[in-house]
Amino acid sequence: MTVRTAVVLAAGEGTRLRPLTRNRPKPMLPAANRPILEHVLDALVDAGIDRIAVVVGYHRERVQEYFGPSYRDVPLEYVLQEKQLGSGHALLQARDVIEGPLVAVNGDRIIEPDAVRQVSEAQTAGDVPAAMAYIERPSARNYGAVTVQDRHLEEIVEKPETDAYRLINAGIYAFGPEIFDLIEATDRQEGELGLPDTIAHIMARDRVRAVKIGGLWVDATFPWDLLEMASEVLARGRVSEPQRTDGVWIDQNAQVSDDAILQPPVVVGPDCEVAAGAVLGPKTALGRNVTVGANATVERAVLDDDVRVDPGATVLDAVLGQDVTLGAGVVVPGGPGDVRIGREIHEDQALGAVLADRATAEGCVSFTPGTLVGPSATIRTGVVASGTVPEGAEVVR
Amino acid sequence: MCGIIGTVGRGGETLETLVHGLTKLEYRGYDSAGVALTGEGRGVETCKCEGKIEDLKAKLETCDPTGSVGVGHTRWSTHGPPTDENAHPHRDCTGEVAVVHNGIIENYGRLRDELVAAGHEFDSDTDTEVVPHMIEDALAAGKDPDAAVRAAVAELEGSYALAVVIEGTETVFAARNDSPLVIGEDPDGGACYLASDVPAFRDFTDRVVYLEDGEFARLDADGWAVTDAAGLPVDKTVETVDWDPEDTGKSGYDHFMLKEIHEQPRALRQCLRGRVDELNATVDVGDLAGLSPPAVQLVAAGTSYHASLYAERLLQTVGIPAQAFLAHEYAISPPPIGDALVVGVSQSGETADTLAALREAEARGARTLAVTNTVGSTAEREADHVFHVRAGPEIGVAATKTFAAQQVALNLLALAFGPPDDTREVVGALRDLPGNVQALLDDSDAAAVAREYVGSDAYFFIGRGYHHPVALEGALKMKEITYEHAEGFAAGELKHGTLALVTEETPVFAVVTGGGEAARKTVGNVKEVEARDAPVVAVTDGVSDVGRYADHVLEIPETHPRAAAVLANVQLQLVAYYTAAKLGRSIDKPRNLAKSVTVE
Repeated sequence: MTVRTAVVLAAGEGTRLRPLTRNRPKPMLPAANRPILEHVLDALVDAGIDRIAVVVGYHRERVQEYFGPSYRDVPLEYVLQEKQLGSGHALLQARDVIEGPLVAVNGDRIIEPDAVRQVSEAQTAGDVPAAMAYIERPSARNYGAVTVQDRHLEEIVEKPETDAYRLINAGIYAFGPEIFDLIEATDRQEGELGLPDTIAHIMARDRVRAVKIGGLWVDATFPWDLLEMASEVLARGRVSEPQRTDGVWIDQNAQVSDDAILQPPVVVGPDCEVAAGAVLGPKTALGRNVTVGANATVERAVLDDDVRVDPGATVLDAVLGQDVTLGAGVVVPGGPGDVRIGREIHEDQALGAVLADRATAEGCVSFTPGTLVGPSATIRTGVVASGTVPEGAEVVR
Repeated sequence: MCGIIGTVGRGGETLETLVHGLTKLEYRGYDSAGVALTGEGRGVETCKCEGKIEDLKAKLETCDPTGSVGVGHTRWSTHGPPTDENAHPHRDCTGEVAVVHNGIIENYGRLRDELVAAGHEFDSDTDTEVVPHMIEDALAAGKDPDAAVRAAVAELEGSYALAVVIEGTETVFAARNDSPLVIGEDPDGGACYLASDVPAFRDFTDRVVYLEDGEFARLDADGWAVTDAAGLPVDKTVETVDWDPEDTGKSGYDHFMLKEIHEQPRALRQCLRGRVDELNATVDVGDLAGLSPPAVQLVAAGTSYHASLYAERLLQTVGIPAQAFLAHEYAISPPPIGDALVVGVSQSGETADTLAALREAEARGARTLAVTNTVGSTAEREADHVFHVRAGPEIGVAATKTFAAQQVALNLLALAFGPPDDTREVVGALRDLPGNVQALLDDSDAAAVAREYVGSDAYFFIGRGYHHPVALEGALKMKEITYEHAEGFAAGELKHGTLALVTEETPVFAVVTGGGEAARKTVGNVKEVEARDAPVVAVTDGVSDVGRYADHVLEIPETHPRAAAVLANVQLQLVAYYTAAKLGRSIDKPRNLAKSVTVE
């Protein structure tokens, strides 16, 4: 491994994950009970990177506060991207603080350290200005697609309309020292400057190495993808809490009643309190300072920091943002359900409900599968909630 | 109040190590700075100047002192204005001795007169300069360097942390009395460090030895040795500090203060960690619960005094007679203590005024408790008991997250000392605080309010009950970092005089939460102010109708009254910060102020 510098792109909101991104960028959403970005930094550090620039923008204070000046003894340099004008533009912002060769990765996608190593080695060994990783999937529709010939990139296409493509741009790049000049020389597309555009710009003049990677590569496009992401992270034991029994991780500063039942895989973060008779898991992650009351049941769910689940509540297939409160006897009966995002309807998703930061459902509220609740909304006692509840709304019977 | 650094065994990196240490200590004072190096058969070479460390660095470009041992100093004036001459290190007439000093030498007038009479010439107005001249005399009388330092120190009265280099030695000599000093030893051996505070050398080692009053130390190529006044070796323990030196970085924020304001949810999580159990309605403060004090006297200064006033109300609420005192007043005219527990509240644990008050209480046989953010501080080591607020290192001179953590820590003590009546409710509210502070930070309109009122004639802050200390603290923050006139009052006191100052050019910040009697009465005071056409900014949870009489509202989440005081204060921190930012003030290092005030 020769490249020891990395730039992480973490400035974008991730609008399709609204309303969860009301107060923080997508890289700070939880993958199980740690931010997605923390997993990305783990991969970089494990790959031997010892200098990292993090490009921040949307709600940058959340990134800066969480990680501070270093991560696992690797210094972090924060670089501001005022307007989100594409991944190439984002990388360019790091020009003043960092020099190539460098690895560039997205802050909102979990990757393996090996992928980082492979791409950087390919760039060095191939003596090319750029190398990038790709993965194989049944279809590359809706992704950045590529075709590869003899270990080199042949074609790069953004979001093809056909199923003809099977190789997906994995968003992991290694660049030589001239990368910043190459980005500046790239033509902007409708004012935006994407790294794929720069890759195409390089391909017109030189060769770009392409590296097939395997292993964990998880992305969240929609809110319910966080459940699948948690499940992948837990299945691989990518948690920082100590393991109590097989697949059960409990922070030493959590208080879990001996009379609670924990079904693996499940992780309980620091400062949590879990009362007697509560049932947690499987596929459940609790962030910091979460309370689960007596006889509550939480399965296949992500409960972010400071969530309160009162006694007797049932929470299945749910994503609960920070500081969400569920009153006694609230029922989120689980998916499948139809979810509306913008003008699109996504049918039959395994989603009970998504509640954004600081939403409150008072006692005995029940949720129709697929319900989305906006930040700081309040659903009063006994309501049957469904569809989309806007930010700050109060719903009464 | 100053910062000291010394090092041996760094070879060609000696100067670099000293300057690095001074940069890390700049929070202790920053009106002048300097270094002195010697060793390798060279004379003592110094470089010093008025101004910040940056100014010293610029000067070092031209005067380039070299050597293998050295001391450095960053100063905050007590004797004599900040000038090049008054900057440390100070030297003797021969130029063979250089001394840096933190503290105040109380008998320096007499010593100086004697030295001048004996023909010594002084360059500065400082108390410190007597020390190198006294060492010079002792050396001239045939004493060896170690004995010469001891002879000089024996004459001193007052407080001091001293570090000395002498031509012809490869040693840093040090002595401590009432001012902090800590030794750092390289894990691989070879180099040693000496400093007022650990961050100065934390990048090089985490192995530290704290000096006690009356102790002497020498650092040389063979390592360090600590002796008592009689010269007998003292058995010291090497401790390991666990904080991360990178914590001193600004991590993308414009100022440490803003970073530290945003770190408050984390600081409160750390403060509460392992100490509360909401489901079982208990708090765990270790063996402190056994103190069960019949009465409490709190001693503190500045922001910590406001936390103490808040604690006074908390303790009274749970039925314990409590009183908060300004530490400097308490030390001079202490009240009858009886069987009260005396609690010293100090972020640094080195606040000279607070230490003096605690010592006074101790001398009168009182039990003492230090509530501090600094593990291993003097307050901790001298008091009978300690309770850490665990806010993490705070670099901004204006205290923010440490105040919030003090409020929470003092709440825990009140719960532990008082009857268990409403423990669950309060613990629940305390556990909600990290999330509530985050909610407030996500949505605060403080920046807009600051823009609206920047340039006002004065700023007034009012509150009742738990919010009275919040009003005082809000005003102090405003004063400290904006240099504008600001005053905090008990809301009911306004009409007894101060109302005369209220005009349409003096915004009044009113802290009103809940809907009880205190809120109703404060709303009444707000109406009085509004009737004088003063702009009103209400800091409120929206339960009362204060918003109707306010020009602006800064919202806080609805919670228990005790927790509301923590939240309200955060809004006022933000208003002060954004006002100062608008005015272009030196927010992290306001003029004339220093982080930990280690002089009385």
